Amino acid sequence: MTRNALRRDGRFGVGRLIGLAFLLGPLLAARDVHAREPPFVAAFDRFGRHAELEPALAGRLLLTELNCTACHATQNERLQPRGGPRLDGVGVRLGRDWLRQFLASPHAVKPGTTMPEVIGGLPPAKRDRAVAALVAFLSTRREPFREFEASGANPLPHEFWRKGNVDRGRRLYHRVGCVACHEPDDAADGLARPSALDNLLAQLDPEDIEELGLTAAARAVRSVPHANLAAKYTRQSLTSFLVDPASIRPSARMPDLKLSPIEAAEIAAYLLAGAADDPATPEAAVERELIAEGRRLFTDLRCANCHALDAILPLPARPLADLNPAAETNCLDAPAAAIPVYGLDAAQQRAIRAALDECKRPDSPALAAAELVKFRMLQANCFACHERGRLGGVGRKRQAYFEAAGHVDLGDEGRLPPPLEGVGARLRANWLAKVLAGEGDVRPHMLARMPRYTGDVTAALPAAFAEADARTPADASDAPADPNQLVDAGRMLLDTGCVQCHPVRGESLPGVVGIDLAGVPGRVHEAWFRGFLLDPGALKPRTRMPTFFPKGRSANPDVLDGNVDLQIAAVWAYLKEVDRQPLPEKIAQARSQAFELVPGERPIVLRTFMKEAGTHAIAAGFPQKVHFAFDANSMRLAQAWRGRFLDAYGTWFVRFAPPADPLGDDIVSLPEGVPLAKLASERDPWPAPALDAAGYRFRGYRLDREGVPTFLYAFDGFDVEDRIEPYGKNGLKRRILIRSQSAKGGGVSSKANGPAIWFRAHLGKSLRQAREVCTDDRGVKVAVPQVVGRRSLLRESDGRQEWLLPVVVGQPLELEYRW
Amino acid sequence: MVRTGNSSRIAISGGMRSGSTVPAPMGPNSTAQGNALGSAKESMTSALKGRNPRTCSAITRAVTLTFLCCICVAPCAARAGDKANYYRLVPINVSEAQAGSRSPHWKPAPEDLALEVSGIAVLDDERVAVAIRKGEIWILDGVYGDPPNDVGYRRFASGLHEPLGLLWHDGAFYTAQRTELTRIRDTDEDGLADEYLTVASGWGLTGHYHEYAYGPKRDPQGNLWLTLNVGLGLKDEHLARTIREPTLGVSQGRWRGWGMKVTTDGKLVPVCAGMRSPCGIGINRAGDAFYTDQQGNWVGTNALHHMRSGAFFHHPEALASMNESGSPIAGIESIPTGLPYPQAVERLPAMKSPAVWFPYKKAGQSATDIVLDDSRGRFGPFDGQLFVGEFTLASVHRVFLERVGGEYQGACFPFRSGFASAVLRFAQGTDGSLFAGLTNRGWSSLGTASHGLERLVWTGKTPFEIREMRAQPDGFALTFTQPVDPHTGGDVASYTMSSYTYTYHATYGSDEILKRDLKIESATVSADGLRVRLRIAGLRELFVHEVSAAGVRNRENQPLLHSDAWYTLNRIPPAEQRPPLSSRR
Repeated sequence: MTRNALRRDGRFGVGRLIGLAFLLGPLLAARDVHAREPPFVAAFDRFGRHAELEPALAGRLLLTELNCTACHATQNERLQPRGGPRLDGVGVRLGRDWLRQFLASPHAVKPGTTMPEVIGGLPPAKRDRAVAALVAFLSTRREPFREFEASGANPLPHEFWRKGNVDRGRRLYHRVGCVACHEPDDAADGLARPSALDNLLAQLDPEDIEELGLTAAARAVRSVPHANLAAKYTRQSLTSFLVDPASIRPSARMPDLKLSPIEAAEIAAYLLAGAADDPATPEAAVERELIAEGRRLFTDLRCANCHALDAILPLPARPLADLNPAAETNCLDAPAAAIPVYGLDAAQQRAIRAALDECKRPDSPALAAAELVKFRMLQANCFACHERGRLGGVGRKRQAYFEAAGHVDLGDEGRLPPPLEGVGARLRANWLAKVLAGEGDVRPHMLARMPRYTGDVTAALPAAFAEADARTPADASDAPADPNQLVDAGRMLLDTGCVQCHPVRGESLPGVVGIDLAGVPGRVHEAWFRGFLLDPGALKPRTRMPTFFPKGRSANPDVLDGNVDLQIAAVWAYLKEVDRQPLPEKIAQARSQAFELVPGERPIVLRTFMKEAGTHAIAAGFPQKVHFAFDANSMRLAQAWRGRFLDAYGTWFVRFAPPADPLGDDIVSLPEGVPLAKLASERDPWPAPALDAAGYRFRGYRLDREGVPTFLYAFDGFDVEDRIEPYGKNGLKRRILIRSQSAKGGGVSSKANGPAIWFRAHLGKSLRQAREVCTDDRGVKVAVPQVVGRRSLLRESDGRQEWLLPVVVGQPLELEYRW
Repeated sequence: MVRTGNSSRIAISGGMRSGSTVPAPMGPNSTAQGNALGSAKESMTSALKGRNPRTCSAITRAVTLTFLCCICVAPCAARAGDKANYYRLVPINVSEAQAGSRSPHWKPAPEDLALEVSGIAVLDDERVAVAIRKGEIWILDGVYGDPPNDVGYRRFASGLHEPLGLLWHDGAFYTAQRTELTRIRDTDEDGLADEYLTVASGWGLTGHYHEYAYGPKRDPQGNLWLTLNVGLGLKDEHLARTIREPTLGVSQGRWRGWGMKVTTDGKLVPVCAGMRSPCGIGINRAGDAFYTDQQGNWVGTNALHHMRSGAFFHHPEALASMNESGSPIAGIESIPTGLPYPQAVERLPAMKSPAVWFPYKKAGQSATDIVLDDSRGRFGPFDGQLFVGEFTLASVHRVFLERVGGEYQGACFPFRSGFASAVLRFAQGTDGSLFAGLTNRGWSSLGTASHGLERLVWTGKTPFEIREMRAQPDGFALTFTQPVDPHTGGDVASYTMSSYTYTYHATYGSDEILKRDLKIESATVSADGLRVRLRIAGLRELFVHEVSAAGVRNRENQPLLHSDAWYTLNRIPPAEQRPPLSSRR
């Protein structure tokens, strides 16, 4: 059963049984709670205490964050309680001693806790027994820790939670965003960089600060308390919690910062530094009666109202609408007789009263989208990082810990979470939903992380942002334009300013760090994009993005006649198509400088996979800008081309070993199949291609002084040398020499009366032979010396024509290829 | 740890300095091995003399505790002092890439050599050569410098297709490329390779990326050993380049999933089959060849195997080549699946159990290279044992082997973690130190770097470790590097043991199954304190036997540096083989 279902049951099923529990305990005088630290609700503390929220709003915030409405039900959707931690595995996660102390005195064990002292409503004589019973019951909840899967993609040492490193944990804690809410460590040497604002504020006196409207900015933001962690957690339990906080606290008030298990172990090591190694939490002896009593108390003391556990039903109290804050005993300032002790301070009491008064007014209007956004952001404390409506943003002094990767200087934009002013007009709702789900990381340089929200906390936000920030879009340009022309122009325009700061499709100019422009049209609204390009500063104060259209005029008057609307439309059009378009020229050039093979003084030889030359391809590129690919499986000169040679990136650095493609022009494929064959008669067919070229064995290659390769292979008792190199400006020259292996070994030449050896020089749909030159229908010419041409054989071959040349052992055969 | 992102650049300029000092034609006389062995004995003696455990026991204890806390964690800045108490990592070239190891946009940093080391050949007391994944061989000098501030780099060969091994033998480099085993020489002595001759080829290559070829390693008979990955999920044009075995219905490129050797007369001999991803090859002191396989389909967890003729290991698709000419395997008509490994072996007698299983996570996630400690003590107290690299966790494990019933079996132990990146290759230097070649591109690993070369150096201090774990008819005998404290060593409560096996199936990896806790009946310490006999009931053949000796202390009251060991008990030795043991309780 889900938590919501439980809540509904509580409200409508047993809802009318309220009040009975109140009679269980004897009345007690209201106790003084003012000495205690009041429960800490971050946004209330930061804004509500400083009159930055209307009192009723601040009170509503407390109603949900203190789980008032977990007992005092309301049908107001917006006032549903955040709920407390799940307790399924609490017997393994937390030690009995800690549980005992915490239940007995939550405010003392964790100052600022929102957990009320539930046993405060019991007579003192019964409290110890009640705590013992609750602890006994909770200790039986022993759901084991989640197993983390290790895989090739996920390195995970055995018992990794024991192996966290304190230094790395400290670094992560101060970098990924923990300190937006929690206390930074002043001793974290070198991790903080004082901000310009801090320096400014330090020099101003309070009146100046007020005059400048910097009061809120100057105010220190108090930390969300996290008690004595070493007393509460083991390494394993804290690590498990940090990896997946929502598994224990579904409210997501502690957000999921997408820590890997190892990162969580590092942070746990840091937070628990100095603590002894994990003590076991052994299963205690079965105390049946005590456990049963604890289970009863879990219901009676309304633990189940906040903590989902098994299917224990909540026990509702008086509905919110029926509450009387002025009653003689109440939760606010006069807890007594079975009322838990919250320890609210005066400001909190005032706020809650205001909210309750508001509830009583008939037909309190539904929240407008803007208010919903604000309320959710207060609840989830989005304001700890993000500014919106003049509230929030990373607090003073905390900013100093926010950094960009490698300290690259991108200004505050590169290190601080973005303000959310007008974000509904900027980001598409579906993208916003992805961002909230933790899948929208587009700032690889920013070390702080956007949390992952999975529950219903943020479910309504994308639509609400959109509604709240809706703006009538400026008229789009209606100038007619050819879409292809736009895309090409857009690609060109990217080179004049964009690529200097932004990668595109993961590729960038050297040293460029920023948001990848691929995918922008999927993320932002086109109208916002237009406005932003026209005047970045107007939509994003203090941005480093410069305008390329000062005073509404283009800096590139030659592109699209300098028409600003068309130019912006062109950039948009290119970005929409970017996956199917070539990279901007400057990026393409930068890439080729790194990975394109450009033969300078010597040829370049590269073994790789190629589509035409197969899995045994050897590509050879030459300074003369004529190149070829040789298939060392079938000994075939497979492909030739001119111009640029080859991009080696895929061969060198891509795990999936994609085939390399020739880069240049005039790419031709040359006769397939093996080059040489023994034919008993001139009517014998040319051997069919086989998986392994039968009778052939590649023997390698030698490079001569100039670096030109000569391929060596064995063929049916012969050694073959096959040298191919550029000839003239456009062609290739090939020289084939075969020698008998047995002759070399001192034996007799096998030539004597055996079948003749032929070289297949050409193959095509139709071949034209003019003396010593043979041309195919594509215009690929193969030329041989006259004496060889005279003895050549042009014949039909399986529906095609082939041109065979006789080979004489010991005599080189020379050919030229032109195309 | 020293960041050497910059130093690689400095080093390049230094290393390019002349070319004349570095290349020097390398004759057959300059092989490293001879030098290393010659001076080893002397070095060991001095190391032993230098050791005085009592005077530094307190410090050692403190350091040991710190070491225990961070032993398995990736390297961090400037804390090398703690971790390096026994084995110290010296970075030679350690580089970050511009994107994550699995990114489709992975690139080395600008100006980076991309020293993704995929093969290491020790040349002499100054130099090593490394093959790198982009297809080059580099010669590095000054690599023994400590710190190595003056390393020279020179490219010797290029244009190779993902070479995954490097051997220097008889004046030439040997490396396995995707298509062939190649012998590479510089015949005109200009410092650049000009002859790339094919020593052996003929295995299938469908074009699937997973079809790596590893090696060579050379055994004392002069055979060059190679291993060939299977392709995974072959389709379309890849499938068209396969051969098929109809009975089992399996298709792979020829000899894919096989261990091969190339004899001195150049013949390529198929030896054994059933490999999945046999990334590491090694020869032990007896001259036998081993390989490591990686967890995946049909392979329950990483394993070390003895390569011998006719053996079948795990992956049935390798049997596509069973009927090819030269195959020493025939007649396998069906493959059991979904069975506990011992039952699968019963059903398929050709299947040979690994000499050592590496339980997943506990002893790594991805086993790589195998190197013999042949330093006669200059690499510490583990002479003659094998060291096995670990990719994902950027570490190294140690392996003890013994022969029982004629076949190898033995134990693995954690040894050292904290390399800067995935450990792919090892070679032992002339001083006994281990060069480790690193690269994690395409997969993931712990560590801060993307690739590089590090050297693991013994400090001369002996760690308190389980040196050997031997099977006994009624238990195990542990040998320690230092005498154990008789009280803790003789207390059965100092030890825990369990045994388990794996499922043999087409699924990726396997849980530990049929797990059973074992009762230690007695623990008997030898008179010299170096040996403990554990008497255990319920040993099971073909099961992994896991021991934790967490309670054992040495005479300085220190715990073991690593208290866990995993013994693959293929055979329980018969009682008559029980060696005499002078013992006391």
